[in-house]
Amino acid sequence: MPISTLRRLILIGLFFVIGGILSFISPSFLTQGNIMTLLQEASQTGIVAIGFTLVLITAGIDMSIGAVIAVTAMVCVNFLSYTHIPALVFIPLSLLTGVAAGLFNGFFITHFKLPEFIVTLASRGILAGVALLIAVKDADGFISNVYIQDPVYLGFGGTVGPVYIVTIVFIGLAFLTQFFMKRTRTGTNIYATGANATAARLSGINTDRSIYFVYMFSGFCASLAAIFLSARMMTAMPEFGIGSEMDVIAAVVIGGTPFTGGVGDIWGTVIGTLFLALIKNGILKLGISPYIQPIVIGGIIVVVVVVDVWYKAFAENLSKKAIDRRKRSVKATVAP
Amino acid sequence: MSVVASKARRLLADFRLFFILLLLMAVLTMLSPMFLSIGNLSNVLWSVCIIGIMCTGFIYAPVTGGIDLSVGSMASLSGIIANVLMNNAHVPLALALLITLGFGVLVGLVNGIVTTKFRVPPFIVTMAAKTYLFGIAMLVSNGDTITIMGPQGFLTIGVGKFLGLPIPIYIMLVLTAASHFLLKQTVFGRRAIAVGANEVSAKLSGVDPDRTRIIAYILSSGTATIAGIVMASLTQQAYAPNGAGYEFDVITAVVIGGTSLMGGTGSVVGALIGAVMVGFINNGLNLMNMPASYHPLVTGIVILIALILNQGVTLPAILRRQFGRKDAPK
Amino acid sequence: MSDQAAESDLLLVCRTITKSYNGPVVLSDVDFSMKRGEVHALVGENGAGKSTLIKIITGVTNRNSGEMLFEGTAIGIEHSKVASQSLGIAVIYQELSLIHGMTVAQNLFLTKEPRFRAAPFIDIGRMNSLAQALIDRYGFELKATDIIDGLSIAQRQTVEILKALNSRASLIIMDEPTSSLTSSESAQLFGIIRRLKAEGIGVLYISHRMEEVYDLSDRVTVLRDGHNVAVLEKEQINPAEIIRLMIGRRLEERDALHTMCRSNAEVVLDVRNLCSENRFNGISFQLHAGEILGIGGLVGSGRTEIVRALYGIDRFDSGSIAYLGKPWSPDVASSIRGGFGFIPEERRLQGIMGAISMTGNIGITNLDVTRRHGFVSAKKELALARRAIELLNIKPDNPDIPVGNLSGGNQQKVVVGKWLIRDLKLLIVDEPTVGIDIGAKEELYQTFARLSAAGVSILLVSSDLPELISISTRILVLRQGCIIQEFADGIVTEEDVLRASSGLVEGAVR
Repeated sequence: MPISTLRRLILIGLFFVIGGILSFISPSFLTQGNIMTLLQEASQTGIVAIGFTLVLITAGIDMSIGAVIAVTAMVCVNFLSYTHIPALVFIPLSLLTGVAAGLFNGFFITHFKLPEFIVTLASRGILAGVALLIAVKDADGFISNVYIQDPVYLGFGGTVGPVYIVTIVFIGLAFLTQFFMKRTRTGTNIYATGANATAARLSGINTDRSIYFVYMFSGFCASLAAIFLSARMMTAMPEFGIGSEMDVIAAVVIGGTPFTGGVGDIWGTVIGTLFLALIKNGILKLGISPYIQPIVIGGIIVVVVVVDVWYKAFAENLSKKAIDRRKRSVKATVAP
Repeated sequence: MSVVASKARRLLADFRLFFILLLLMAVLTMLSPMFLSIGNLSNVLWSVCIIGIMCTGFIYAPVTGGIDLSVGSMASLSGIIANVLMNNAHVPLALALLITLGFGVLVGLVNGIVTTKFRVPPFIVTMAAKTYLFGIAMLVSNGDTITIMGPQGFLTIGVGKFLGLPIPIYIMLVLTAASHFLLKQTVFGRRAIAVGANEVSAKLSGVDPDRTRIIAYILSSGTATIAGIVMASLTQQAYAPNGAGYEFDVITAVVIGGTSLMGGTGSVVGALIGAVMVGFINNGLNLMNMPASYHPLVTGIVILIALILNQGVTLPAILRRQFGRKDAPK
Repeated sequence: MSDQAAESDLLLVCRTITKSYNGPVVLSDVDFSMKRGEVHALVGENGAGKSTLIKIITGVTNRNSGEMLFEGTAIGIEHSKVASQSLGIAVIYQELSLIHGMTVAQNLFLTKEPRFRAAPFIDIGRMNSLAQALIDRYGFELKATDIIDGLSIAQRQTVEILKALNSRASLIIMDEPTSSLTSSESAQLFGIIRRLKAEGIGVLYISHRMEEVYDLSDRVTVLRDGHNVAVLEKEQINPAEIIRLMIGRRLEERDALHTMCRSNAEVVLDVRNLCSENRFNGISFQLHAGEILGIGGLVGSGRTEIVRALYGIDRFDSGSIAYLGKPWSPDVASSIRGGFGFIPEERRLQGIMGAISMTGNIGITNLDVTRRHGFVSAKKELALARRAIELLNIKPDNPDIPVGNLSGGNQQKVVVGKWLIRDLKLLIVDEPTVGIDIGAKEELYQTFARLSAAGVSILLVSSDLPELISISTRILVLRQGCIIQEFADGIVTEEDVLRASSGLVEGAVR
């Protein structure tokens, strides 16, 4: 059985084991309300994580996703406060914010060949500032807490039956993205760009275009998440999303997408997202200090990466030994 | 190129940064006359010192080709630990500081080992560290803002003066000198640069890259700890989120100073000037009534520009790349 | 055969191709042609111009002058990679360019994945069946759904060939394809090549292995020093003759130095039965003081692996080494302390730290001399750098210049210099003069001679045969990880070494 499937099964198994333990210890865990809330939290992170996964597949990283959430939320609020454009129109428009951010990131990465990490870190700072700049302010210049009252907008934070809309969108986006990645040429080109950019280019793939694409998609996902976040919170603050990078990274790392690029699929990210949400929810339900959370998350990231890296080295070693053994049986030449 | 001309060119490059600093000061003074006042400058001082102190150890991470994102969290955590030791456990000052520093060394050791022996990319290790250190800080302090009232010796670190200048300046200058000396004049410094420049070549020359990198991360966390102690003393406060964002300022300072994030070069003096510039920029923005939360906007732009300039990207270079011959021998 | 028939038979025609890279002329008036359905071997020593010719044909670089026609159509000077691919020229390098994490089918159809008529989505089923059909047509034991990562090198090579076939290549160029294959895998590859031939595809085959060239080729073109010196037809192909043509007749001023001699000086290094799985086997030799022991052999014969093991960078599995009479367990730091020096094979990747000054590069290996209680004396370092500059005549003589800015020859001098100024007993040199101008080469040779005269032992790995035989005082030739021949007495010629490297000992190929 390929390692990725095994790994995924282990994760799913752990998921249910931990879930089982939690429902045993905490009576309020296995209620419909809690499960739906857990799924909602997961979906919030998960939508961003889907975009982030694509960036990782190209062996890049996007540190600006949190700030994109903030800016998008501010853009929406501006639309709300200053225009009469209906929500169904301005919300899709706001999604362009993330796309624009991705364009910006992609430009500096491809054209100047600057390291992805620093570029997106810088754009994170810039976008955070922009979010503040465009925030709706009152007469004294203080940022006003705009309450969202538009029912269509708020509707995004609502449910369809027992399930939150954001969860439906998350799953739907997961399906679409997975399909896109595995079944279109663009998707294949993205994998190729991440696996071996030189070989990809030799085969005629425009790797720059792939890079632009993933950063723009990552921005788009972040913007999408912002819509749901602000709808649920019924407000939008410029601090929204700042600091959410760790959750996204944790979700993707747990899900098994490596930072080295070339491999990774959305379902891994989905599982990782759910697993992370479970851990967080569990910490909450067990009454442990919420401050434990970042410790646990940080610790999990390190442990998971270490195990993955160690296993990869171990597997490579095994296969190398197998190849050597094969060669040895054919080679013996004795010098005169 | 004659020896004289190359020396002159190097001198110009070294001082280029200084000229830019002077230019920056001029611009800031124009924008806000209050900039050069004693009151204001002493205000800037403390953030410059903290960034500057962090830079002195942090620089070894990019020099060896890595990065340390945990310095900010480390700083705020060390203030909290120091406080707990001194005021809750009533440990004598010197011992408390020593233990706190020891903790910083331990964190650096862990970062170094995980990134070398376990081959985890530095930014993941240190970013995870940033998160869990923050968590530990929140846990220990319960998320509260703790006011540090004593001991007196501790407060003197941040507030005290010696010969008219605040002590943190001395700490920063001493550490800068020590770090500069370490980088330029010691075996370790040579090895750190070699590992960052070409790890294979360094190995062939007898350098142990793992050991060198581990020491680099220890230094980075160590100075972050010192900066954290200074910060707690200066502000008389221990608050977990206090350190957030410092790693960004430190990276900017170091990049402005001419250190490449790819490894192999490093300028401690440049980083110091960079720290001053970052402090000035932040301060200038404050004076222009831009709240602190906006500062990353400007710093982000600055870092992009600095990176691009560091690469030697100039208009002629861009044109050459577009229209150049594809025929260069490899 | 009428002219017209002959012309349509020709797949590729190159006439008077000339190429120089800002100075040294790499190809000079080279004619070359390929027929349809022929296996044509291109042979020549390192530096003879083979890879440059291939680069010109595949559009990676452009010729300075000359004509090129493919299937009758003229190819302009501004030829490009993309153009060559669309013309039907495919090249398979040693570093295969497949995408890991993807299946065989995906690799075959990269950028041209078959899609549904109704929607722009990849029809995976059709892609797999088309791929499998292609695989089956050639009778390979591959599945279209196999993932590249799990395939052996031989299988991956097959996928590369399939890729070329899938792009309807009519000319497939293979660069040293058997260097990583076992002999049964090589045999399979030859079967594939014959199959390609039967389908009218031209195969241009670059190899150093004489037995392969002899078995497979319909024609052989021999390049030497950028010239086409011979095109042999099937009946004329004979390994010994090819080797002779590769070497050519040279008037050597250094005839005297071609004489090998055993040394009676003390034994510096005593190597017994050194083995490292799959890299080398049963290596035993002794190195005497002042000797220059040349190590010859084809690429992949284990030369670099052995010297790296001796220096301590790589481990070996069994065997023993004695250095200066005492048992020696090498690791880099103690080797350096013990008087070893090491000049690595790839100057830019392994030898120099380009961003750092000469002083820094030279200093890093000499910390034991310049250090005192953990501090480094910049003055001493500078003195060492200056001494190296003086000894080797490094230009420009400013020690502060980043080594990356120096010419290749001077860079190598820096690499040599950092050892030269030490108390050396044993210097390991791996391909010292690749990409270096004549002047610098000569200076390096003189340096080696001086060292040898002063009692320093030198282990010289070199693919440059004139260099190898003119500098060495004794030569060991490796083949497939074992020492196949030693030249310790009398005169040795390049041909002798090449024949030994190719296994042509006593007339037969081994």
